Amino acid sequence: MTIKNEAQVLTISDIPELTAVNAGAFREQVTSALRESPTVIEVELSRTRFLDSSGLGALFALYRSVGESGEATLRLVNPRPEVRQLLELTQMQQLFEIVQR
Amino acid sequence: MKSVLICPATRRSVSHLAEAMPFATVPLLGECLITFWLGHLASLGARDVIVLVADRAELVRRAVGDGRRWGLRVEVVTVGSEPTVGEAAARCRPFGEPGWLPAPDDLVVMNHLPGCAALPLFESYAGWCAALQAWIPQALTPGRVRMRELHPGIWVGSGARVAPRAQLHAPCWIGDHVAIETDAVIGPGAILEDRVVVGEGARVVQSVIGPDTFVGRLTAVVESIAAGSLLINWRSESVLRVPDSFLLCSLGDMPSLVPQTHLAGAAGAFGRTVLRWLKRLRALFSRSNCAAGTKPSG
Repeated sequence: MTIKNEAQVLTISDIPELTAVNAGAFREQVTSALRESPTVIEVELSRTRFLDSSGLGALFALYRSVGESGEATLRLVNPRPEVRQLLELTQMQQLFEIVQR
Repeated sequence: MKSVLICPATRRSVSHLAEAMPFATVPLLGECLITFWLGHLASLGARDVIVLVADRAELVRRAVGDGRRWGLRVEVVTVGSEPTVGEAAARCRPFGEPGWLPAPDDLVVMNHLPGCAALPLFESYAGWCAALQAWIPQALTPGRVRMRELHPGIWVGSGARVAPRAQLHAPCWIGDHVAIETDAVIGPGAILEDRVVVGEGARVVQSVIGPDTFVGRLTAVVESIAAGSLLINWRSESVLRVPDSFLLCSLGDMPSLVPQTHLAGAAGAFGRTVLRWLKRLRALFSRSNCAAGTKPSG
């Protein structure tokens, strides 16, 4: 996983999967990166082939922490069709701004 | 009168539909493609039907039996690969003998439902769903007394249980022994095959849910085909194997769920518990009797 903070845009990318195995590490690393107060947070999901309920939980935790501060925009970028299906199945696509580039 | 049915063997654009069984026996509004075709041929006056099968013939054989159900004599013949109509004609009717149903019902490739050639089943997942939706009124063949149209466009099977606050929007088909929990929204355009369980607050819209499938609480199955944990979006043709069973799964994978959601299942579980206790009591009695019998007499 790569986390990059440039010009107040926090980009989280290179996530091959987000599951029970790495969801905890994802949350920890993203939480510490949020201390730099970015205005835009983008989770790049084009490489994410597998997501489970723990991964969805990690994304939801990020949504809540961003929502509580109310100072940043959260986007999911380029999710693969199967990840999008899971977001739709759980109705979580209503929470996030999903961007295809 | 005779006829030949050719079972589709492989159809790449909808290959996931035939993962567990051949296309001819995929559940379809409580029946399957081949049983609808046999009923149709019987209504046209056929008496002998030859079924040519290249894919998992034993499952086709099991579905049709000897054809007595339709008043037919059915012979299921295993072939190496799916024959064309010409090849089937050369094999089964080489000299154009009389006594066959008139074309096109003499040699049929089951690529569509009877009388619905304009709606091919196997060209795309969207086509499959559209054909099923169009077929709903015709699926109520005279022998199917258990399925009722409760409200225009809303068909409900026997043993189905719909919670009072669930919403049903026409058109929708709810198969036998389906359970729909409170606040669920079913339809428009929803087909729930037999023994589906839809959890509280879930939505099923423009979708087909295969038999014995659990749709979890608050989930949304929209423009999709779900069968067990397999989820196919028929618009995008994207395929997902849902990893978490509380979202979507086969009820065969989680047997404990059935007794919790069905009253009959709960009664069954209670009955099994009573029987277990009776067995234990009997064992205890027989042990004490044995002990009494082996007691030294003096």
